[in-house]
Amino acid sequence: MSQTSEPSADAAVTEAPVAQSETKQSTAGKKQNKKKVEEVVEEEEEEYVVEKVLDRRVVKGRVEYLLKWKGFSDEDNTWEPEDNLDCPDLIAEFLQSQKSAESGGKRRAESDGDGKETKKRKDEPEKLRGFARGLDPERIIGATDSSGELMFLMKWKNSDEADLVPAKEANVKCPQVVISFYEERLTWHSYPTEEEEKKDDKN
Amino acid sequence: MPTENLTDKRMSKFKNKGKEPTKMRDRRIAECVELRKAHRVESILKRRNISSFGDEEPLSPEFNTDNEQVISATIQEIVASVNTDSPEMQRQGCQAARKLLSRERNPPLKEIVEAGLLTRFVEFLGRNDDPMLQFEAAWSLTNVASGTSWHTQQVVEHGAVPAFIALLASPMLNISEQAVWALGNIAGDGPSYRDALIDCGIIPALLARLTPDAPVGYLRNLTWTLSNLCRNKNPFPRFSAVQQMLPSIIQLLHHGDKSVLSDACWAISYLTDGPNERIDVVIKTGILPRLVEMLGFEELSVVTPALRSIGNIVSGSDLQTQAAIDAGVLSALPQLMRHPKSSVQKEAAWAVSNIAAGPCQQIQQLITCGLLAPLVDLLRNGDFKTQREAVWAVTNYTSGGTVDQVVHLVKCGALEAILNLLQVKDTKTVLVILDAISNIFLAAEKLGEVDKLCLLVEEVGGLDRIEFLQNHENNTVYRAAQALIEKYFSEVGVAESHLLASFRNPFVFPQRSP
Repeated sequence: MSQTSEPSADAAVTEAPVAQSETKQSTAGKKQNKKKVEEVVEEEEEEYVVEKVLDRRVVKGRVEYLLKWKGFSDEDNTWEPEDNLDCPDLIAEFLQSQKSAESGGKRRAESDGDGKETKKRKDEPEKLRGFARGLDPERIIGATDSSGELMFLMKWKNSDEADLVPAKEANVKCPQVVISFYEERLTWHSYPTEEEEKKDDKN
Repeated sequence: MPTENLTDKRMSKFKNKGKEPTKMRDRRIAECVELRKAHRVESILKRRNISSFGDEEPLSPEFNTDNEQVISATIQEIVASVNTDSPEMQRQGCQAARKLLSRERNPPLKEIVEAGLLTRFVEFLGRNDDPMLQFEAAWSLTNVASGTSWHTQQVVEHGAVPAFIALLASPMLNISEQAVWALGNIAGDGPSYRDALIDCGIIPALLARLTPDAPVGYLRNLTWTLSNLCRNKNPFPRFSAVQQMLPSIIQLLHHGDKSVLSDACWAISYLTDGPNERIDVVIKTGILPRLVEMLGFEELSVVTPALRSIGNIVSGSDLQTQAAIDAGVLSALPQLMRHPKSSVQKEAAWAVSNIAAGPCQQIQQLITCGLLAPLVDLLRNGDFKTQREAVWAVTNYTSGGTVDQVVHLVKCGALEAILNLLQVKDTKTVLVILDAISNIFLAAEKLGEVDKLCLLVEEVGGLDRIEFLQNHENNTVYRAAQALIEKYFSEVGVAESHLLASFRNPFVFPQRSP
C-alpha cells in the first residue's frame, strides 16, 4: 500500500523519486515482513518545473540556488541545494547574467513587460464579407478609397447585397470584372489641334 | 484612341458615349447611394458588433448570456447537434459554440472542454467538403486554445495540431487565417509546444502563405504567429528554425502596415534576447539600419520592440555594439531619452548604460553624439526606474572611460545628479552610485585634483549624504561609504595611513589605457 504524500518542493525538482515500499531478502525461505514505512512512499509522478534561477548563496559550505517555480507565485520561491537540481541551462543563464554584470558591465534585459500578448482570443463575430462569402462576382458597381485603400463595391451573383472588396483582391480573383468596370468608365480626352489651341489662347 | 470597329454592345458600355445624360446621372446617383450605404452598414456593424449576414437561428440566446443554467443547457444542445450526422445541425452546433466562446465576458472555455466537444471540433477541421463547418470549428478551437496552459493542452491533446497545420494550405483564406491564429496561440503557450509545432513542419507551411497578395489582416496574424515561434527561452528555438524564419521576418520588417511591423519587430526582440551567438544571427541579416529607422517612428507599438531589440544587441559584445553604433543608433537615442513615455526613456537609458560599458572609443562616441546632456536630464528628472538605468550608465562610463572622459562627465553635471540620488531606498542603486563616486575619485587622483573634487562634492551636499550612509543598515553600503570618507574626506595621520595601505593595498592606481 502506498500513501500519497503532500508533494514538497524539495522532493521533486526534476523527477519524483520512486521510493521502495518494501524490501526483500534474498535468503531463501525467509519472508521479509513488508515494511510499511510512513515516510517512504511511492510518490505521484508530479513534476515541478523550475522557471528561473533567481539567486545564489552558500550555506554551511553548500551552494544553494533560489528558485522560481513554474505555475507558482514568487511567494513560493525556495532555496534548493545545487545537488538536488537538474536544470543546468537555467543555472548557466543565471551565472551568465551575474558574470556580465561584473565583466565589462553589460546587463541583459529584464523581461519585465514583454508587451506582446502570448495568446489572443478571437472575439469579434465574423462578418463574412467580400469574397469570404463564397459568392461569384457579377459586376463592380462603384469604387472608393476613403479608407485609404482602393475598394470596389461588388454585386454578387444570386445575392442582392453588394459589399466592398479590396481592389487588390478583386484584381487577382476576377480581373475581367475589374477591366469591365474600368472600361465602362473610360473617358477619352481629345487633344486640341494647333488651330484650336490658338483659339483658346485668344479667349 | 477608340478603334473604328466597336460593336454596339461595347459602345454602350463606354462611359459617356451613346447614353442619355439623364440615364447616366441616375446611374451615378444610384452608385453613390450604394457606396454610402455600404459604408454606413460597415461602420454600424463595427460599432454594434453584430453579424448581418447569414444569421441563422442562434441556439444560444444572445441576450441572456450570464446565466449558468442557460449556458449548460445551450452546451447540451450543442453536444446533441454536433453529434448528429446532419451537416446542417453540425454547423449550427459549432456556430453556437463559437458564439459562446467569442462573447465578451467569461466565455465558457472549461465547460466546452468538459462537455467533450473538442474531439468533434478537431474532427470537423478535416471536413474539406464543408468549409463553413471547418471555419466554425477552427474558430472555436482557437478560442479554447487562447486560455490557460490547461486549455491549450486540451486542444493539443485532442489532436488539433496536425489538422491545423494541414489547414494552413486551405484555399479558403479565412480558414487558413484561422489556423494561423490557432497555431499562434499554441506556440505562445511555451517552448515545448513551440518546438512541437516546429517539428510538425509549421514553418514551411506558414512561409508558403507569405505571398505579396496576402491581405493585411492575414499578414498580421501570420506575423504574430511567427513571432510566437521565435519567442521564449529555456530553451531557445533551435538555430535551424530561426534561420528558416529570419528572411521572411526581415521582409515583413519592411512592410507598410504598422501592426505587421510591430509584430515582426517583437520577433527580432525575442531572437536578440539571448547569448551573443543569437545576436550575431540577427545582425548578419543586415537589419540594423532598418531597426534604427524604426526607432524614429511615431507609433509606440513600433518603437518599443525596436528599442528593445537594439538594447539587446548593445548588451552583447563590443563588436556587436559597434555594429549598432555604425548603423546610427546614437543619433536616434537622444530623442528617445526625451520620449513622452517613461518606459521608452528607461529602455533608452538602459541601452546607453550598455554602450557606456564598452571601450573608451565607444564612450567617446557617446560624447560626440551628444548623449551626455540627455543622460544627465534623466538622472535629474526621470522616473525612478529610468534614473536607475541612468545611474548604471554613469558607473559603467566612469569605470571604462579615460580620465578626460570622466572629467567631461562631471562637468556635464552627472556627479551632482548622482549624489542627489544617494537617498533612494533601493540599496543596489546606492551601491552603484558609490561605485561611480569611487571611480570618479580615482580619476581625480590621477590628475592630482582630489581636493578640488572633495570641495565640489561637499558644495553640492554630497558629503553629508555619504556620511549619512555610514549608518545604513546594509553592510556593503556602510562599508563602501566609510571607505570613501576615510580615503578622501578624513584627515588621516601618517601612522593610520600606513595601516590603511596595508589593508587595502592599492596606493598604486590602476593604469587604464587611454
